[in-house]
Amino acid sequence: MKNDICLVGLSHHTAGVDVRERFALADHCDAGRWALPCDGPIQESLILSTCNRVELLAAGKGDLTEHMLHCWARTRETKASDIRPYVYIHKSLEAVRHIFSVASSLDSMVLGEPQILGQIKTAYRKAAACGTTGVILNRLLHKSFSVAKRVRTETAVASNAVSISYAAVELAKRIFGDMRSYKVLLVGAGEMAELAAMHLLQSGIDEILVANRTHARGEELARQFRGRAVPFEQLADFLPSVDIIITSTGSPDPIIRAKDIKTVLKTRKNNPMFFIDIAVPRDIDPDVNSLDNVYLYDIDDLKEVVEENIATRRDEAARAHEIVNEEVRAFAGWLATLDVQPTLVELVHRGERLAREEVDKTLKRLGSGDERLREALEVMAGALVRKLHHAPIVFLKHGCTHQENNGARVSAIRRIFNLDSDT
Amino acid sequence: MVSPEFSTMLSLILLGAASLSGLAGITGHRIFLRRLGICLTVLAFATQTLVLLLGFHKALPDGLSLGAYIQMFAWFTLLGGIVVWRKVQQPAPLLFASPLCFMLFAVSLPYLGTAVPLPGMVQNSFYALHIGALFSSIGLLTIAFFAGLLFLFLEGRIKGKQPMPDFWRDMPAISLLDKINAFTVLAAFPLYTLGIISGIAWAKPIFGASSSGDPKEVMSIVIWLIFGTLFHNRLIKNWKGRKPAQWTVLVFLLCLFSIIVVNTIMNTHHAFIRG
Repeated sequence: MKNDICLVGLSHHTAGVDVRERFALADHCDAGRWALPCDGPIQESLILSTCNRVELLAAGKGDLTEHMLHCWARTRETKASDIRPYVYIHKSLEAVRHIFSVASSLDSMVLGEPQILGQIKTAYRKAAACGTTGVILNRLLHKSFSVAKRVRTETAVASNAVSISYAAVELAKRIFGDMRSYKVLLVGAGEMAELAAMHLLQSGIDEILVANRTHARGEELARQFRGRAVPFEQLADFLPSVDIIITSTGSPDPIIRAKDIKTVLKTRKNNPMFFIDIAVPRDIDPDVNSLDNVYLYDIDDLKEVVEENIATRRDEAARAHEIVNEEVRAFAGWLATLDVQPTLVELVHRGERLAREEVDKTLKRLGSGDERLREALEVMAGALVRKLHHAPIVFLKHGCTHQENNGARVSAIRRIFNLDSDT
Repeated sequence: MVSPEFSTMLSLILLGAASLSGLAGITGHRIFLRRLGICLTVLAFATQTLVLLLGFHKALPDGLSLGAYIQMFAWFTLLGGIVVWRKVQQPAPLLFASPLCFMLFAVSLPYLGTAVPLPGMVQNSFYALHIGALFSSIGLLTIAFFAGLLFLFLEGRIKGKQPMPDFWRDMPAISLLDKINAFTVLAAFPLYTLGIISGIAWAKPIFGASSSGDPKEVMSIVIWLIFGTLFHNRLIKNWKGRKPAQWTVLVFLLCLFSIIVVNTIMNTHHAFIRG
């Protein structure tokens, strides 16, 4: 019976959050209570359980699907029939394709998001620690990591920001490059503005200043960002020393006008400034964008950037799927070699045994105990066997790489070399 | 002595491979290919330097060939690219310079045997200073031109809130491009001035007068004035961003016009190419 791979799972595509919660296996991934034990038809197993998906991956021989469903149901103390309406089942190469797509974040709720790869790596580490992975899953998971890397490098599926706060940070990087020597001024407090400030801090910004009408709230935010609170009334005095300004106040009128910025630019020797206006109504006069070396993005501009980025990611997903298909074909070739592996091993062992026997016979006939002669004969016999085996090995492997019927090839080789009756 | 044809072919192969690798690295977002492009460009520069030191420029009995002048310009451009790369740790201008230098080497190939006859008095070390200063200035200006063009494109898209195509994902930040522009302009203008002064100083003994209203001289002075304005405003008035980028593009295009059109078409005593 052939080794097979099977994936049973549910995700945000097939089940709502309540169902995903009900059948989650996250708490059951420890060695003592492994939800998918390697018994029956299952020889190797892995469990991936995140907030958006629960997937069971197994390799083995026989009816894997039913066994996996029953293990899953048993762990969740329910019946397999309760899970069945929500699950998808992928077998053999479809399972391989699915795991490659998931690792490459092509199946994620937010296309191209990076967390899923980390989650798969964690799931793999847990399975390896529980000793439930073997030749097939080790290879499959390692391959899925490299496919994910290839997709991220060769396509733009994960390259552009798909959240407003992150889009603002990406724009800042396009303007300033290395953020380490730049300062940020956060004016007002709003969830998105704080998030943008947090992303900027993570990208290595030098310092964050916080100006809030309520100074105490400003100080609280400054502590959160390891920055400094400045009086809101003295905002204009701090503008020349900052490079990125994020505004999010509730002011009905603009608090920063183009004529103010002209003076600020002179003071800061025309060094560029980037304004991110997340407030509605807007905090910054739109004319600011017409000044040289000043860039202004308001909430609508950022939304537009995000929408375009999402569209780009969708376009890039088609290219990513091509990469996945290519890698699935390559994996299929490797998988097929597993069928011929025992025959290859037997063939080589038989050859080595025959060579050893013939060397012994020859030495006995010559009546020689010379070690150098023995070594020379062993080298010659070994080389002869390897040369004789080259053609049949290539013949067997050709079937794997070209995905032809290996059964006929294996059977032919076994008959020609008498592998089934030779003892 | 290395044959000019052999050294040119070697440079063409290295620069061709560098261009392909560098551009594939930029478009395909492959760091390895970009690094390979940089290594090959530096190797091409080192090879060409070695060839120059071995005396390739002495291949013709009457002096340098037209091909050698073109290659020397390519050499100075590569030198400018390498200096900028080391100074600002940004290889993009060097990667863009390698296809240009590849083209210059390809253009030089048919002219390796074409001698550029110079008046006897011109063939001295002062002439080397005149040419060396001007070529190194224009080499740096070429890098400034690429950085300026890239700046204008990227800044235009950011300012205009237009989407950034995937190809431009790995391009340097506009602040960095402005820094490249500032460094190259501030280094190139004094060199250009040195080239002009050495030309004026030696014009009298060679051509009979310091200034004779020759089209090349007029053009060079016009370029020097515009270049000087750019230099002054960059240094004193803190010009940054779009304006200096536009002026750099203008100065480079005027230099190109001066070399290609004035030297070859107009009636000037710099028309050495026509002999």
